[in-house]
Amino acid sequence: MAGVPPAFYGGRAAWQPTVIKANLLYWGFHGKVRQVRKAPSMATDKINPFKLAQSHFDTAAERLDLSDESRQFLREPMREYQFAIPVHTGDGTVKVYRGFRVQHNDARGPCKGGIRFHPMETIDQVRAQAMSMSWKCAVVEIPLGGAMGGVPCDPHTLSGRMQEELCRGWVRQMFSNIGPVRDIPEPEIMTNPQHMVWMLDEYETLTNGRYPGFITGKPVSVGGSLGRREATGFGLVYMLREALRRKEFRPQDTTMSIQGFGNVAQSVIKLYTQIGGKVTCVSCWNQTDQKPYSFRKDDGLDLEQLLLITNEFGEIDKEKAEGISCEVLPGDAWMQQEVDILVPAALEHQIGAENVGSINPKVKIIAEGADAPITTDADVILNEKGILIIPDFIANSGGVICSYFEQVQSNMNYYWSRDEVFGKLDVKMTSAFINVYELARKRQISMREAAHFFGVAKVAEACRIRGWI
Amino acid sequence: MTEKHIKISSEQLPAFDRKFFDHLEIATCIGSGFIGGKASGLVVMRDTLAEHFPTGTFDSMTANIPRFTVIATDIFDRFMQQNQLYDVAMSDASDDVIAHAFQEAELPAEMVGDLMALSQAIHTPLAVRSSSLLEDAMYEPFAGVYETKMIPNNQTSKESRFQVLVEAIKFVYASVFFKGARQYMKALGKSQTEEKMAVIIQEVIGRRFDDRFYPHLSGVARSYNFYPMGRAGAEDGVVELALGLGKTIVDGGLAWSYSPSFPRLMPVVGSMGELLKTTQTSFWAVNMGEPPEYNPIAETEYLTGAGLKQAESDGVLKNLASTYRPQDDRLVTGIGPDGPRVMTFAPILADNVLPLNDLVKALLRRCEAVAGSEVEIEFAVTLDTSTGLTAHLGFLQMRPMVVSKEQVTVAAEEFSDDRVLAASDKALGNGITSDIEDIVYVMPDSFEAKHTRTIARELGIINQQLIEAGRKYLLIGYGRWGSSDPWLGIPVIWSHISGSAAIIEATLPTMNVDLSQGSHFFHNLTSFKICYIMVKHTAAPAIDWQWLENQKEESRAQFVRHVHLENPLTIKVDGRTGRGVILK
Repeated sequence: MAGVPPAFYGGRAAWQPTVIKANLLYWGFHGKVRQVRKAPSMATDKINPFKLAQSHFDTAAERLDLSDESRQFLREPMREYQFAIPVHTGDGTVKVYRGFRVQHNDARGPCKGGIRFHPMETIDQVRAQAMSMSWKCAVVEIPLGGAMGGVPCDPHTLSGRMQEELCRGWVRQMFSNIGPVRDIPEPEIMTNPQHMVWMLDEYETLTNGRYPGFITGKPVSVGGSLGRREATGFGLVYMLREALRRKEFRPQDTTMSIQGFGNVAQSVIKLYTQIGGKVTCVSCWNQTDQKPYSFRKDDGLDLEQLLLITNEFGEIDKEKAEGISCEVLPGDAWMQQEVDILVPAALEHQIGAENVGSINPKVKIIAEGADAPITTDADVILNEKGILIIPDFIANSGGVICSYFEQVQSNMNYYWSRDEVFGKLDVKMTSAFINVYELARKRQISMREAAHFFGVAKVAEACRIRGWI
Repeated sequence: MTEKHIKISSEQLPAFDRKFFDHLEIATCIGSGFIGGKASGLVVMRDTLAEHFPTGTFDSMTANIPRFTVIATDIFDRFMQQNQLYDVAMSDASDDVIAHAFQEAELPAEMVGDLMALSQAIHTPLAVRSSSLLEDAMYEPFAGVYETKMIPNNQTSKESRFQVLVEAIKFVYASVFFKGARQYMKALGKSQTEEKMAVIIQEVIGRRFDDRFYPHLSGVARSYNFYPMGRAGAEDGVVELALGLGKTIVDGGLAWSYSPSFPRLMPVVGSMGELLKTTQTSFWAVNMGEPPEYNPIAETEYLTGAGLKQAESDGVLKNLASTYRPQDDRLVTGIGPDGPRVMTFAPILADNVLPLNDLVKALLRRCEAVAGSEVEIEFAVTLDTSTGLTAHLGFLQMRPMVVSKEQVTVAAEEFSDDRVLAASDKALGNGITSDIEDIVYVMPDSFEAKHTRTIARELGIINQQLIEAGRKYLLIGYGRWGSSDPWLGIPVIWSHISGSAAIIEATLPTMNVDLSQGSHFFHNLTSFKICYIMVKHTAAPAIDWQWLENQKEESRAQFVRHVHLENPLTIKVDGRTGRGVILK
């Protein structure tokens, strides 16, 4: 995940805890998460996510010809914390939750990573994410290490009071091992800015001070950063712009189809349209019909118009869409469109070996807004077709970069204008793209491999300079 | 006269490259859409200079366009829309309120990264200049209507440089909606909503001397001179030179004016003392020193004024100045002897230590060919004495001029007509007007130079009222119209007098200075075909003050009177002879 699921930011009462029981599907929703569908994730496919992350690392290590010591050191987290969090249920009973924090590597700076409240959460999932954060921070050259944390729980089944107690309990267990100069948490799946504020408040109570840099993903009113809501989507477009430049396409001559209509997708549409591009198709979940639909308009979708017929969960009203001359198509039609660019910005593993063949031959670039939207098998096929894939690692890193900006601002207690946030974000994203693109070009590897290579190399170098390995 | 329309879109320029100074391109673009008139002129001249003025053409002088990038008009559109700025911009809010609202607004996210990269890469002063879409019409001058901001760009952190750059861009955007610009547009019969602004970010030509950054000299040259003096004719053109930044010239300060056909010809002055009074004694530079008071909505926020002593200690006067020798009441070229320095540019113009005049003449000829009309150009020059004397001319702007050649004859006999309100053989413009029924004049009896700022304000109020009423008027005042020195004339800006159809620039015994000959508002006068008549108080016939006094008064301020006539005036100016007459 790109640090933070942007769906949780902004929007109406986005950080009010909500209790919704459902067969949950995370669909990149704007505002509240209504459902989290059990996606065909690595965990549920019985693929151990940590083992997979280690195997990716091994590949990069091999390319880098890392020493055995380095491999040994980097393929395991430096520190892990597992602890119990008792929570009063309100009916006189106490429920004990399990909390995790994994700090994979902090050679490049304090650790950074989300806290996920998710019923499917496992320690191996957390380890994998922590490792991924190490590489991700390194590849976009922000001076942070990688961490991840979580609590296996479904916050939608918990009262607000219990969620607050869970947050405060997590911090009480961890506060001596985290903090602005050690490890900075941020929201992840099913945690939101309100959770961050509770955690901050607990930390500041325990440490007897004000440390807004302890945590990121806060509301702007308590030390959040302007531009955080748009950062992931805008960051993706900055990279897309650079990719188009290198393919010698002008944005105004290109079209896009996008999966998802959450904050990431909306921000992508906004900025991509601003630079002249045309979005002709977008897909999103429909709660009533319990399936996604694609909405197509060949002369270009109007974001403002779409938002008028979209509910707080990011669902476009099917009937009203027809009223504004959109064709309503099956959910997977988004990837079959005759467009230049595809942006999967919803779920993981949406493009697999079984459907990769339906991608239109006109498609030249895929920018991964979601985490791991393309399976390994499909990735190979797409690379063979010569489609440029901007991997999630960097494509959706705008979120973590802006989290870093928030931390810097919070530590200074001096906040930047939105102009400055986006200015810096653009420079960071562009630099990261150029670094990875050039590495891929020189070594004749995919951008995904190059990003991995770059990230691992940076972290290994930091460890070496420190004299650790 | 043939006129050529130059309109260039962003597609004809390469996209901004984040290396800026390292990149080979002189001109790049951020955004899409149009790049405005000023930038279009620069792009055309970029190619012209490369083709016709390669290094070596003028021995010790080189010429090129300072490197620049243009923020195209689509960014302006988006900035206005996404921040919903049209509400405040089109309201009656004062300039500072509008400017503040623009400062609070956010630039479109797709371009701030380029600005950040630019701030990261560049540490030398930048000029943030307007390049409006309506300037593309080329026949409508916008000189001085929109703001330009110079920034030192030498702050230690890139964030600070970025912040200042962003503020400057927003300030230039806001200036589209400042009162002066709105009145100007109204006079043109256009709405502010038709205007779109591109912004040029350009390296400033100059050198750093202590805390000042400035070019050795700046210049404005026009290929047609409505105000020819002495042997020079209108087609000989005119050049104004000033030490330091060109703001001195653009603002109508004291500059050295000469005909490029007669560069050694001194201005006609009554005495050496008068010459000393009417030559430049101070100059503008970019302030590289202590940060000034924070004021992002002031054009001069990062500018500083300095005197000739500082320039001399900076070592820049050697090839620019003369020295006055009081013992024999004459000027000596250069700064060898002690004595007051006088900005005559004699070493260059008279002794020809640099072929500047030849280069300027050649540039004017070439620009005329490109534009298909008479032109005005702006430039800045830095000198280098490290290996002999060499110089570099940075070409800053080219504007086609509007020169009417309609045939009007004013015979000398008409001066003795009983109906003459005022007459002069020093008149500018060309044509006949016979529908002016209003006269706004500064009352001669109460006029004193110390009140000129108040007079400017009073004129501005009446001007506004008459514009709103849709009535053109004849304006009469004393000293140099638009002078930045209130002791040399009334320091109006164009918006104070923009509704006038004819202007008399007169002298009084108490304000007996060399008249500006309309130079401060040259483009405005020619564009709006405003007759500009200079009347010395010693001339015959004199202005008929008595008749004016007897006309029906519509309003009266402390120093300014507005009268409404029963019958319209007839105003005639013969552009060929420079003779003009106003008949009651």
